[in-house]
Amino acid sequence: MAYLIQPDYVQYFCTCGQIKPITNLYFCRHCLKVRCGFCICHEVDSHYCANCLENMPSSEARLKKNRCSSCFDCPSCFHTLSTRATYAPARQDPAAGDAKVENKQPKKMYYLSCFNCRWTSRDVGIPDQPVASGGWPERTNPFANRFGQLLEYFKAIAQQEKQDKLDKERKKYAIRGKYITLTDKTGLTGAMARTTAGLPSSESSSSAIANFVPSQAKEEVEELPEDYHTKEVNLKLITTMPQRLASPEWQAQLVSRLQPIARPLSVKRSQRCRRCDHNLTKPEYNPGSIKFKIELLAYYHVPEVKIISFETIKPGCTTELLLKLTNPTAHEMQISIIQPDEVPEVEEKEEPKSIEKSLEKSLNLEKDTSWRQVIERKPLLPTTIKLHKPELSFTLAQRDDAAEYDDDSHHETNDIILWRKSNKLALRLKVTTDEEAKVGSPAVAILALQYSYRNTVPPTANSPQTRDHVLYTTVAIHLGTVTQ
Amino acid sequence: MTLYEGIALIQEKQAVVLDLGTDYTKFGFTGEAAPRCIIPSQFWCTKDRRYKRVHHYNSTEELYENLVQMLHLLYFRHVLVNPKERKVVVVESLLTTTQFRETLAKVLFMHYEVSGVTWWDSARACAATLGTPIVLVVNIGAKEAEVVAVVHGVPVVHAIQSEPLGAQTLHDNLARMLDEDNNAQLNLEPSVIEDIKVRTCFVPGRQLVAQLGGQCSSVRSVQYPRASGALTVSGRARALAAEPLFDRDREQASLPDAVLRCIRSCPIDTRRALAENVLVTGGGAALPGLKARLACELRHLVSQDPYKDSLHVAKFKFHSSPCEDNVCAWVGGALCGAADWGVRAAPRDQYLREPRLRDWACLLHNTPPDHHHHCP
Repeated sequence: MAYLIQPDYVQYFCTCGQIKPITNLYFCRHCLKVRCGFCICHEVDSHYCANCLENMPSSEARLKKNRCSSCFDCPSCFHTLSTRATYAPARQDPAAGDAKVENKQPKKMYYLSCFNCRWTSRDVGIPDQPVASGGWPERTNPFANRFGQLLEYFKAIAQQEKQDKLDKERKKYAIRGKYITLTDKTGLTGAMARTTAGLPSSESSSSAIANFVPSQAKEEVEELPEDYHTKEVNLKLITTMPQRLASPEWQAQLVSRLQPIARPLSVKRSQRCRRCDHNLTKPEYNPGSIKFKIELLAYYHVPEVKIISFETIKPGCTTELLLKLTNPTAHEMQISIIQPDEVPEVEEKEEPKSIEKSLEKSLNLEKDTSWRQVIERKPLLPTTIKLHKPELSFTLAQRDDAAEYDDDSHHETNDIILWRKSNKLALRLKVTTDEEAKVGSPAVAILALQYSYRNTVPPTANSPQTRDHVLYTTVAIHLGTVTQ
Repeated sequence: MTLYEGIALIQEKQAVVLDLGTDYTKFGFTGEAAPRCIIPSQFWCTKDRRYKRVHHYNSTEELYENLVQMLHLLYFRHVLVNPKERKVVVVESLLTTTQFRETLAKVLFMHYEVSGVTWWDSARACAATLGTPIVLVVNIGAKEAEVVAVVHGVPVVHAIQSEPLGAQTLHDNLARMLDEDNNAQLNLEPSVIEDIKVRTCFVPGRQLVAQLGGQCSSVRSVQYPRASGALTVSGRARALAAEPLFDRDREQASLPDAVLRCIRSCPIDTRRALAENVLVTGGGAALPGLKARLACELRHLVSQDPYKDSLHVAKFKFHSSPCEDNVCAWVGGALCGAADWGVRAAPRDQYLREPRLRDWACLLHNTPPDHHHHCP
């Protein structure tokens, strides 16, 4: 049970210990484990512009600094700018006379305008463009030149350091011969070694260092004008902090210096299980599509629990709770409800050692599992509310979209199973609240489900898999607050 | 596009530079003159359904989760690259807590599996933007103002001065004055206070303060528009918001005092050079008039009592860095990170073998080799 704006009433425990609604969880079909956004590996899949839905190859995106070349955002309110066309007034040429002007077609000119705050590119004096998209003047960073000089200087220093280190090492091991060869004397070998290694000659790096002019300190600091404090302040002309930070290169302080912001690109992400390196989700390449090529969401694999209704939780009382269970898979599911501490600890251990296995391992790169110790943690389970375990295990039919239209045959019901309908059933459970439960504290009941799962991954040659598995999942059900 | 940006494109994987400030996070690539994004150091927390600040944490686990969320936002919403197998340059203050550093290292190396991390302190990074050997860096940040002397690439650690005179102090003072002027408990949001400060406040010169007295009636007031009626920002609030920085009443804990104390604690042969190479930077230094006022106060104070006899510097000279004030440390990090091609980065496999960071405060790393406590 997950909502967009309401709190999450039913949450699942991820294998890594995070508690999340089922819509935020993934299910790795290869490890048969629930995963979440915290314990999986995210990857950038493809770049696209969210406004014009244009794909951009990642190399091009890198070249364009992750910005769309045709879409612009308003520098004032960050809404998307629209291109507006106007007819430029035909230029009056006094020398040519009136007759010629009439023949001329009025020229279409374009400017950018924000439909939200009415900012236009004309406000800041950007000339109208003759083409509808592109061609807008590009601004360069005012400090780019000096930055380039500094970078050149530091690179030259780093280069020289490296060279010195190399020279030192060479000197250490150089075996002095009896005779000084001509090449040694002229230093030809050093230069030759440099050219073969593709390094710039020592002269060029030293010239970069020699030509560099360090920043000059000045005694006078720019002071505010004398009448600064008596002048009126027009807040409409001064930019706000978000407006300044939207373009980190310029950070215009005056509204008149704002420039249209090329729209930043967005990415589609693919997710990967850290343990087995299989993809959990992979989006389609087309930016307009919201479908996935691979989509291993927990919602399609783990039985879903919803709250139908519950009695108010009071300390020391036994209350009833109605739940609905749904089987999302295409196979029948055997479910039993157990206590959370009955879930067996499944250690993700390596297989028992055998000579063949270690031989196989020595061939492959060792799998890095260091992330596990920092990501995985044991969640604290609240224990004030105890569940009465029903001595019952039941089968839940597979999901069948056609069954919705059938007249449901009547299933037998009892005090625990209230009704059944295709792949859903309703359960009546009893929970007992501890005497010491604090009034006003959130009431959370924990229950665990044991369910059968049929693996549909085709077995591969080197990992013969059994098709049927018994899996466990732990669910936290939020039952409001403890009341008197 | 300059030459080096072109080279950076050919390079296999450009490293990223991270400056996780208290208020704003700067993130971008090495070898570029400006960060790709400057965003508030906060993220949308789905659990609490509110924006959560990275630096608000009660436990190491919480900080770990905050950093994971923040870096996810930075990598996949702003810079759009895979964090895996890419080097990172982290720009941080010398006084960053060990808890924060180690948690950040853990997040970067273990969670995002970056291939290497270089740690640069903000003082040296700021000094790198000038290319001068001796610089006195006055960095006015969100929480603290730090004064660090960098002499030939080495920060003089025993002379570091740090005072809680950052943007936060200004904001508190401004909020108090606005409450007084409007005779009401306004409870303005921090972003509104910041906006009022950035758009209306200034630092008057030394003479002007004396001239105005406490009233500032000649300073124009501003009507600040809000949804619930305009708010009057009085001339007093505009002119005196930054006064706590220069207030000497609290045991000489003002900013100019910190600068002079730092120079005084430095080796005697560097003092004159330091005074002639001052760099005032950080987001807090962008307030109009602040640098001029600081210069004036320094020249006045050096002839006053505690420094008159102990500090003999005649001249103060000031640098201006080739970037906006709020990104100075980041730009330095981008320069240093691009220059050494990531050779100095602590590689991931080394961290996995021994998860410990080098730190100036740790005796394991800075005991001289000939000292009998040195362990190799």
